Amino acid sequence: MPASARFSTGRMIEVENLTKRFPTQVAVSDVSFSVREGEIVGFLGPNGAGKTTAMRVITGFLPPTSGTVRVAGYDVMTRSEQARASLGYLPESAALYPEMRVREYLAYRARLEGVRGPDVARRVRDSIDSCLLEEVADRKVENLSKGFRQRTALAGALVHQPPVLILDEPTVGLDPTQIIKIRETIRLLGRERAVLLSTHILPEVDAVCDRVLIIDRGAIVAEGTAAELRSRLAGSPIVRASFAGQIAAREPLAGLPGVTAVSEASADGETRVRLECVTGADPREDVFRTAVARGWVLRELVLEAVSLEDVFVRLTRHEEIAPAAAVISHSAEAAAAEGASEEIPS
Amino acid sequence: MRKFLAIVGREWRAYFFSPLAYVILAAFLLMNGMIFSAIVAFLNTPGAPKGQALPFLFTNTYFWIFNLFVVPIITMRLFAEERKSGTIETLLTSPISETTVVLGKFTGALLFFLTLWAPTIVYVLILRSQTPIDLGPVAAGYLAIALIGAYFLSIGTFASTLTKNQIVAAILAFAMLIPVFSAGLLESLSNDPGKRDTLGYLNLWDHMEEFSRGVVDTRRIVYYLSATAFFLFLTTVTLSAKKETP
Repeated sequence: MPASARFSTGRMIEVENLTKRFPTQVAVSDVSFSVREGEIVGFLGPNGAGKTTAMRVITGFLPPTSGTVRVAGYDVMTRSEQARASLGYLPESAALYPEMRVREYLAYRARLEGVRGPDVARRVRDSIDSCLLEEVADRKVENLSKGFRQRTALAGALVHQPPVLILDEPTVGLDPTQIIKIRETIRLLGRERAVLLSTHILPEVDAVCDRVLIIDRGAIVAEGTAAELRSRLAGSPIVRASFAGQIAAREPLAGLPGVTAVSEASADGETRVRLECVTGADPREDVFRTAVARGWVLRELVLEAVSLEDVFVRLTRHEEIAPAAAVISHSAEAAAAEGASEEIPS
Repeated sequence: MRKFLAIVGREWRAYFFSPLAYVILAAFLLMNGMIFSAIVAFLNTPGAPKGQALPFLFTNTYFWIFNLFVVPIITMRLFAEERKSGTIETLLTSPISETTVVLGKFTGALLFFLTLWAPTIVYVLILRSQTPIDLGPVAAGYLAIALIGAYFLSIGTFASTLTKNQIVAAILAFAMLIPVFSAGLLESLSNDPGKRDTLGYLNLWDHMEEFSRGVVDTRRIVYYLSATAFFLFLTTVTLSAKKETP
């Protein structure tokens, strides 16, 4: 990796206090993070969270409102061409020229990226191999399935073998077998490159990424490895309990020490409650004593393990999206604020 | 330079992947074929002045109508298509300056425009085999076609950056070309000598006649080239500004 050798820090993407404001909204607000060589970082967030905007700024397509972005050590605004030469970008649209053949398109992309004449054919062959495009290499893009188009666009992003890859939803539109193969390709590429990929598919993060940035409403709300995020949120446990009959369990349980929020639902002659608790708390015994004291019949009492889905949902849920869960959502925001204050490097 | 040529090549070839290119080419050859047969008929008239008919190839009304309609159709796709499909994102995040992108696309369009004209050289050769022809004015005529073509195409290229819709881009280009073309025609309507001079400087119709008589006036060349450069500059500026609203 010739470009990375110049930078002892190995930080191939550095984003500092990035803010991007559009006339009607703030798409990205004071975001800072970095991606090192040999690292695959997942950008995780609900639709409209600011992932695509952030990536467009990093690739130099959009200028930032404030803050700096460096790619391979080059500022994307002041040394834009060097920065752009160091990165490969797969945009969300994965747009291609429909009239071109796959091989022809890749050769065109290679030339635009500055690959020299004699190397073009070899680079095109390599990218066709790594994105499994052999069988369609001489077909026109307009006649390809969505999956092949997506892979052609991915091949276009890496045809010049850049040290930095920015992939906006690289596995969208692929069938499960293709997804597994493309993830393998990305993992392989990530060994010696810095890869930033966005996704809203949670298993993808577990399968591919070394580290996760959860972005919501333009801000990073949590950062860490998938395991770290899990254990940190597992530290603020959830207890589920169910009682026979229809009872008013919310009030008494919300008063228990360590419980931050309670939600309650009754169905089929059973009342189910879900308690969110402060880190380290285990109110199971208190729940049991409360039940005994009030004469409730306890059917089930479980301390839940937290999945990555839970982490994601808790960090990104808003009242306007889930009004029914209003009771829980204030604690989700508390968790979000907590995550933000802990994790965003200053 | 390699990147520039890559863009030029792609743009030029892209025209031939759509039926539009062939429709334009066919219409163009039909039009010029009719003019050519008129020239031949003219030369067959007893006592026709030899060697003076060829300028008609460049100075007839069809020539202008054709340019005014065809140039917007050639240029409409240049940026509008890429912005609509989203390929503009990969194009502008490649390590290429916006100026190179604009020049590459413009040159591709200009080459296609000249490709339309290339078959007319056959007419010149046919006439030349039958009657003495002064090649100087013919060369000057083709030079004028290239220069005025470049000027018009630069306006069309600019119009194409203003919208994602190709049809709107074509109409915008047409709306801009009409005043550029017709300003000079007001020359005869003005009595003020100062105004007449200014309008005369912009009178493309007269310029074309001069060129096809073999008069190569550097003022005309400066006008076309500087206007082309100006519109290409505007194109580059617009392209950068439009990034804000992808």
